[in-house]
Amino acid sequence: MVEGNGAVSLILVSHSGEIASGLAEMAAQIAGPTVEIVAAGGAVDGSLGTDGGRVLEALRAGAKGAGAVVLVDLGSSVLSVRAAIAELTPEELEHVSVADAPLVEGAIAAAVAASTGCTHAEAARAAEEARNVAKL
Amino acid sequence: MSPSSDVRIERAACLPAEVALHARPAGAFVRAASVFTAEIFVSANGRRANAKSILDILSLGAEGGAELVIDASGADAAEAADSLALLVAALA
Repeated sequence: MVEGNGAVSLILVSHSGEIASGLAEMAAQIAGPTVEIVAAGGAVDGSLGTDGGRVLEALRAGAKGAGAVVLVDLGSSVLSVRAAIAELTPEELEHVSVADAPLVEGAIAAAVAASTGCTHAEAARAAEEARNVAKL
Repeated sequence: MSPSSDVRIERAACLPAEVALHARPAGAFVRAASVFTAEIFVSANGRRANAKSILDILSLGAEGGAELVIDASGADAAEAADSLALLVAALA
């Protein structure tokens, strides 16, 4: 790891600003202060929806150093992330992984993985393993 | 076929009365476990969880005062089980 890279960061994309920010708070409590978690939830006016510009801004900001893992909720969140990914340079793309994972469990798993100093691809895999963990 | 990799070490540890293995303590535990190469499991309430998986550990539902059994297999199993047992007892 290059010096000063720090831990992988998380980008949480949800239709709801409150889901994204509440989950960021929850994941930060479990993972500790070394992992930066960016909440990109809600539409431009704060209503339910996604803000493509904000998602792109978050991805661009995260696409350096140790990189970022992106978690999404449903439908157009996925489309917003796809659209933002299409705007990134090949070099930026090397610093970003999108996790195909349930949002809450995936964010917790990725945040704790990130806090152990893993790569963004490993954090995404940790999130994706959440699909196989039974709740009951 | 190193004989050391077959070693399975078990340690009992009791959570402090006021600390459940949720949220921040669970994260601290998983982070500590992830340092070791050994396979590490924690048993409580009749369930056994992978010590390196936060979702697994949270699913244990281990409340304050719970008796945990940590078992580790692999080259650094003894160090892992010992240090995690100490960490559990010292959680705050």
